[in-house]
Amino acid sequence: MPDLLILFTIPFVMAVLLSILPISSEKILKKIAVGFSTIPLLILLSQHTHLVGANIDYNWIPTLSIRFHLNVDALSLIFLYITCFIIPISLTIAPVSRLFYSLVFILQGLLIGFFTAADLALFTIFWEAMLLPLYFIINLWREKKHSSAAMQFLIYMIAGSVFMIAAVLSLYFSATTFDIKSLATIAQNVPHAALIGAVFFLAFAVKAPLFPFHAWLPDAYCAAPASGTILLSAILSKAGIYGILRVGIPFFPMLIQQWGPVLLGLSITGVLYGALAAWAQNDFKRLLAYSSFSHVNFILVGLFIWSDLAHTGAIIQTVNHAVVITGLFMMGSYLEREIKTTSITEMSGVASFLPKLCWLTLFFVLASVAVPGTNNFVGELLIFLALFNQNIPWLTPLLGLSIILSVIYMLQWMKKSFFGPAAPPDKNYTDIKAKQMLVALPLVILILWIGIYPAPLISTAQNALAAIMEAK
Amino acid sequence: MNQLLTVVDILAISPMLILLTGLVLVLLVESFSKAPKRYVFPLTVATLSIALIASFYAPVSDHALLTHWIRFDPPGEFFTRFFIFIGLGTAFLASSFFRQVKTSEGEYYFLLLSSLIGLILIGIAADFLTLFIGLETLSISLYILCGYIKGWKLSHEAAIKYFLIGALAAAILLYGIALIYGAIGTTRFALMLEGYKHISTTAHTTLFLSGIALVTAGLAFKAAIVPFHAWAPDVYAGSPTPVTAFMSTGTKVGAFAAFIIVFTIALPNFHPLWNQCVALLAYPTIVFANIVALRQTHLRRFFAYSGISHAGFLLIPLASGGPDALSSLLFYLVVYATATFGAFATITFLDHHEGEDISIKSLTGLFYRSPFLGCIMGICLLTLAGLPPTAGFLAKFYIFKVAFEADNYALVIVGLLMSVLSVFYYTRIVGLIFSKENGERESLSPLWMTSTVAIAALFGVIALSVNPEMILMAIQFINRRN
Repeated sequence: MPDLLILFTIPFVMAVLLSILPISSEKILKKIAVGFSTIPLLILLSQHTHLVGANIDYNWIPTLSIRFHLNVDALSLIFLYITCFIIPISLTIAPVSRLFYSLVFILQGLLIGFFTAADLALFTIFWEAMLLPLYFIINLWREKKHSSAAMQFLIYMIAGSVFMIAAVLSLYFSATTFDIKSLATIAQNVPHAALIGAVFFLAFAVKAPLFPFHAWLPDAYCAAPASGTILLSAILSKAGIYGILRVGIPFFPMLIQQWGPVLLGLSITGVLYGALAAWAQNDFKRLLAYSSFSHVNFILVGLFIWSDLAHTGAIIQTVNHAVVITGLFMMGSYLEREIKTTSITEMSGVASFLPKLCWLTLFFVLASVAVPGTNNFVGELLIFLALFNQNIPWLTPLLGLSIILSVIYMLQWMKKSFFGPAAPPDKNYTDIKAKQMLVALPLVILILWIGIYPAPLISTAQNALAAIMEAK
Repeated sequence: MNQLLTVVDILAISPMLILLTGLVLVLLVESFSKAPKRYVFPLTVATLSIALIASFYAPVSDHALLTHWIRFDPPGEFFTRFFIFIGLGTAFLASSFFRQVKTSEGEYYFLLLSSLIGLILIGIAADFLTLFIGLETLSISLYILCGYIKGWKLSHEAAIKYFLIGALAAAILLYGIALIYGAIGTTRFALMLEGYKHISTTAHTTLFLSGIALVTAGLAFKAAIVPFHAWAPDVYAGSPTPVTAFMSTGTKVGAFAAFIIVFTIALPNFHPLWNQCVALLAYPTIVFANIVALRQTHLRRFFAYSGISHAGFLLIPLASGGPDALSSLLFYLVVYATATFGAFATITFLDHHEGEDISIKSLTGLFYRSPFLGCIMGICLLTLAGLPPTAGFLAKFYIFKVAFEADNYALVIVGLLMSVLSVFYYTRIVGLIFSKENGERESLSPLWMTSTVAIAALFGVIALSVNPEMILMAIQFINRRN
């Protein structure tokens, strides 16, 4: 299918184009970048489910038996949508720089490759390769004070996944193929399967991140420019989740069930820890970072409960988290641009100067705390149900605490920053305009659509789940 | 045996003969021409190009006078071409270098060509004596090249150090060869495995293994493998940049060519003890070099440690053996040499301080001084770091695959762990290149010859990353034929 090839190569072509286009006006350049970035989304929308089954299989390096094998299934499609939907939005608040646009496009190409890779060696190559553009995005546009955040991020990621190469090789020597589908059938029975599985899980856990592997997260999220933070939180964390769905669950189903209690314990701890840490923050970027961490761990709770219901909920939450966190970080960046600070205590009563921004932020905040009628409510409910159906129902209220905590920290931030006593403004603030509203509109629509009529997404998620389970 | 050499035999060794003619001409031009600077560089490049073409068309000789001493097999041809490419790259770098540092040039190219003959002799040696002559031809030229700029104090120190340690290494190597000869009565590679298998007494086995140990140590000096590496940082830091480039590619590849010829072609898997010993060399080399490289502040010295750490990775397939060991070694060498040349081409642009090593800080903001050079340096460093999607990752992947196949898990784990460190120190420099903070802003003077090397290296790295199978097929062919 040529469509997949076009989808894969077009970001790289755009990256080259944007670095050489002879246009000096920064405004036009930005418009071109944003315009270009919608092309993959348009391809996706025009093909939609026709893309499922698209296949590129090229014998790339026969000597190493690595095939350039990309294949789209229902699961890939969801993650492709997330990637192609979020990137244009993140570019609208990007710093104006050719290099930045090129890096984002390279990242997009690598992500499309990663989410469709059907060869485990290729999967590993994309997995590691996507770190480089992110490293540069964090490092080159960071704030001055976070001088080591990018390197910390890179080293954390590489250290987490370095043994994955050994694990991939050991699987290879058991089956003499890197094909993900064929490996899924034998991975459980290879010698040292537990060790190999643990290595894979470590890599995915660092990237997601699962509870004790999150030390890189606050610094990286805060150091990155706002659009980089969106890429990190909405897309990169999904790479870890995709890894668990694509490799973790089909390859090592027994292991997941065996380690279920431990993994569940860690992820629930992560949910609560993230929520408590968010509560303690005095900086809204950090607050959102911890809130994102808490929600990602919620997704992981869904993945580690061994039931289709929970997995469906997790896939739905993956989409929801990407949408909501993008909205929140975008609002945060608008706010930061006006107020020139990210400290919660230094601002007060912003609602009276920036009413539109305030109401839009409030909308995303309500979606984030899973108010009924918004998308998070659906996904979280499914995961709660699944957890309750397990033989450990008492964990459900414990996890339920996170809802209360998220209401506390989110609304407290809203109250302090937006609705406190209004300090006299030292300059004229400009509220968000129609253009910014237009950018936020797709997010709002998605949140309400999934919240009110979730059936299409649920059936898509079930299809995706069927696709990975069929692999076994 | 006493038959005269025919035209075919002469043609068979034509690459070396062409180089020999070329170097004599260079010396004559330098001595008698009024303006030698105009002629020596084109003459050198012409010589190298003709030798390269000749290497593709050279017939195979079966004259006993030649085949006793040199091999006409695919690995030999591969090394010949590889070395001529390295020679071409060095010549182009040197041409630019001499535009910045004014000194006489003829001797430089003469020495470069003679060291290339030495390298090629190593690559095609069929006898320990040819190998030794090759190594000595290479080394003696290099001793002089190290101290080539007479006014640089640091270079004097480097040259003396290199000479003393190199002479010691040569002595050790020669002693080893003598012991091997004493044990099996021959120095020919073709008879080596046979000779070893027919050793009957323990005394002779001991003699042979001692000889092998000394040969290994001698070659380890040349390849700068811990604990025989101490010369490398000082010599790299003190030599002119084109010489350092030549040492970190030519000498490194030459030393590993010798390892390949002796231990994977002549004596494949002859004794597990040797593999274990090489593994014992690989651990400290990888660990030490990667840790020390973290703290380097100067570029040439940094590349010395980077080179040592890559030598450590190259030892992994040697220690593992197995059918793919040779292919993975050659592929790694090609990737390493290409990326190193790209990096040194960039360094040449920055090299205008008298004899001092170049601070890593001077790379700050290179991308904004020259986006082209910044990108090349960045890509080459990421290749050396072994990060995907560059070919460096595939090279490391192949090496680990070979080690895995031989159940050398400990080496894989140490190698992987240390490659995390290497990611740190390489990307730190790449980060500097793209950093916007207080770097120099003056634009760099264009150096066309060096740019040629940089572009060639860039294309090489990209081609190796996108379609590695191209070169892997050629290497596989060598591996099968051997």
